[in-house]
Amino acid sequence: MKVPIRMTGIATSVLWIFLIIFCVSALYSLKDVQVQFGEPRISLTQDNEMLFSLPIGIFNNGLYNLGRFNVTTVIMGQQDEMLARGSTSLPIISKGEAVNITHQMTVNLTSLLSTYQNLLFNDTELQINATASITAAEVIPVQVSSNLSIPWGAPLYDFTLGPPEFTVIGEANSTVSCRVDVPLSFENHAFFDLAGTVRLRMYNGTNVFTSEGEVAIEVGQHSFYQGSLELYLPASFATRNGYFEVYFSTSLFSNGPLVIPYDT
Amino acid sequence: MTRETGTDSKSNIRRIVRKALKATIKGAVFYVVYIVLSQLLAPISEYVPNIQQIIETFATVYVSLVIVTELASGTIFQYVLNTAKSLFVIAYVILSLKTGVFALTAENMSLVIDLRLFLAIGMLLGLLGLAKSVMQTINYVNERAELTQL
Repeated sequence: MKVPIRMTGIATSVLWIFLIIFCVSALYSLKDVQVQFGEPRISLTQDNEMLFSLPIGIFNNGLYNLGRFNVTTVIMGQQDEMLARGSTSLPIISKGEAVNITHQMTVNLTSLLSTYQNLLFNDTELQINATASITAAEVIPVQVSSNLSIPWGAPLYDFTLGPPEFTVIGEANSTVSCRVDVPLSFENHAFFDLAGTVRLRMYNGTNVFTSEGEVAIEVGQHSFYQGSLELYLPASFATRNGYFEVYFSTSLFSNGPLVIPYDT
Repeated sequence: MTRETGTDSKSNIRRIVRKALKATIKGAVFYVVYIVLSQLLAPISEYVPNIQQIIETFATVYVSLVIVTELASGTIFQYVLNTAKSLFVIAYVILSLKTGVFALTAENMSLVIDLRLFLAIGMLLGLLGLAKSVMQTINYVNERAELTQL
């Protein structure tokens, strides 16, 4: 009986020592793992999708290999719903190895802007849930998660229609016509250029449709746009007040009607 | 007769001194291991605030049990204390690691370390130690019974 007892004792002690040394050294070597995050970039793909890129550099200077490195980012909506998700994985990072990867996530801008129309007009911050996980020494799962925010610039920031200017332009078939000049301005705070059209439908004070017109716009990123739109209507339809319905149509999004009242 | 009594008391003193010396050496070895471990875990203790306290409490109780067990060697109490030591290890591993998942939150960041595998291995090793203690106790009682019969 003494031999099995002794053997059990030796086996237990050896396994305890091995377990403690392995566990401590695996956790200890995590401090020698350097993870560097580069500057996040946002760009537009050829498919008109927003591409979020985050360069990540990992230098495993620890004692063991690192397994199953994974970075997952999720863009959350205002009601905490998931708008987009991206994931980047590396099966193994050997000890002494330096790895540079770029984590990418694409967001369908058309869908995003049609769901959240306030993003067209208001600058805000997009909330990103970022989770990085790794298995230290390929055995101990470690997970770090954080909330980040990236600034969102509205493509139609501060969209304004100025007071319409009515000008009588002539008389034809006993009907007096007039031209209406509507000044419009906005700032493109977005990271993409804006090209498309702005269409106005004019309604007078008695809710009668009076005229419509369209203007092409082409505004570079972080640029200010100021222009005007001409509408023609019979003078008898013109009233001092009423409202405009504004429709936007670009390659990235279509929006409307945005109702803006006028009062001259 | 007087000489025999003197020899007995001398050997008793020698045995006690040997036990005390062995207990001191074992205690010192475990203490050195504890010091080395706590040094190694110092960087981690910045992130896990109570890890130092967990290890300190464990080391204190364990080293005390090792010393007392060594002093009680050769008696039934040695095996009782050995069993108590094994049970303490199992209970402490379960209590300190709880579910085996450590979750920490600092500012805007949360860290989760999954030590369930080590919890399971630790518990199995604790059970192995408990089995050894039980076997030692049975062996001791068996030997005593044989001596009594003789």
